[in-house]
Amino acid sequence: MSKTLTVEGDLGTVDSRAVITTQGSVTAPSLVTPAGARRIDKVIVAVGAEGLADGSGVFFLRLGGNATKNGEQVIMIGAGGRIAIQAGSDAAPSIGVPFILENADIEVSPSDTISIAAEMAGSDLGTGHVVVTLVFA
Amino acid sequence: MSKLYRSREGEATAVDTKTQLTTLGSEAAPGPLLVPAGAKKIVGIIMAACESFAAATGFSAFIRLEGPGLQGGPESLATLAGGVPVATGGNGSVVAQKIDIDLPVTPSNEILIFAEMAGTDVGAVSFGVTLIFEL
Repeated sequence: MSKTLTVEGDLGTVDSRAVITTQGSVTAPSLVTPAGARRIDKVIVAVGAEGLADGSGVFFLRLGGNATKNGEQVIMIGAGGRIAIQAGSDAAPSIGVPFILENADIEVSPSDTISIAAEMAGSDLGTGHVVVTLVFA
Repeated sequence: MSKLYRSREGEATAVDTKTQLTTLGSEAAPGPLLVPAGAKKIVGIIMAACESFAAATGFSAFIRLEGPGLQGGPESLATLAGGVPVATGGNGSVVAQKIDIDLPVTPSNEILIFAEMAGTDVGAVSFGVTLIFEL
């Protein structure tokens, strides 16, 4: 049986590890792996940045904590770039569609704490935001 | 089978120039990317890249994998292409792509990841690459 855990949060500064711990209206969701879970089977993640600064950068995820049996796993999830910051009604939006990693096969311990963090690297593209779902099996 | 995910990122800032990806965001010097003990092969590669749109031109981009950790020698993979008609309004948001692959590796040996921008110089291209090892 699958079980999901979703968290979201801001990426406020480039080259800075941001621990992702909130879930919208739930400010402190449980970060404990489900009882019986042996692995992360899928990772679903979407990321974007507001585009208030020029440059190009990438975004990645760090999955760690006591629950990850083989240590921290670092996974690239997306990229962004822009030039000449746009304003007004014709400003181009930044839309980050989800990246879905199937058959992730990341070993975890059941009923243990997992740490989910993300980073923006390269140029600072303004504040980024990320939402992550882990599907345990 | 358990999988391990190892990543590096960096920027290619000159066209037709081999650029090693050596950093990992807040880790300015994560050290060599070594094949994990017990790993038999790379079963997948995740690539994310985007240009800075700083020049009105078109380009393409690719990565190279090299080093003693690769039993079959160097490999190269197409990553991205794009362009912009004016250097005053580009905007991009790119989702990462995963490809399945079968590259035998030698544990405890290094793999070097390089990136290149080709065509004409678009300013800069940021690259992020994840190697997926299978134990």
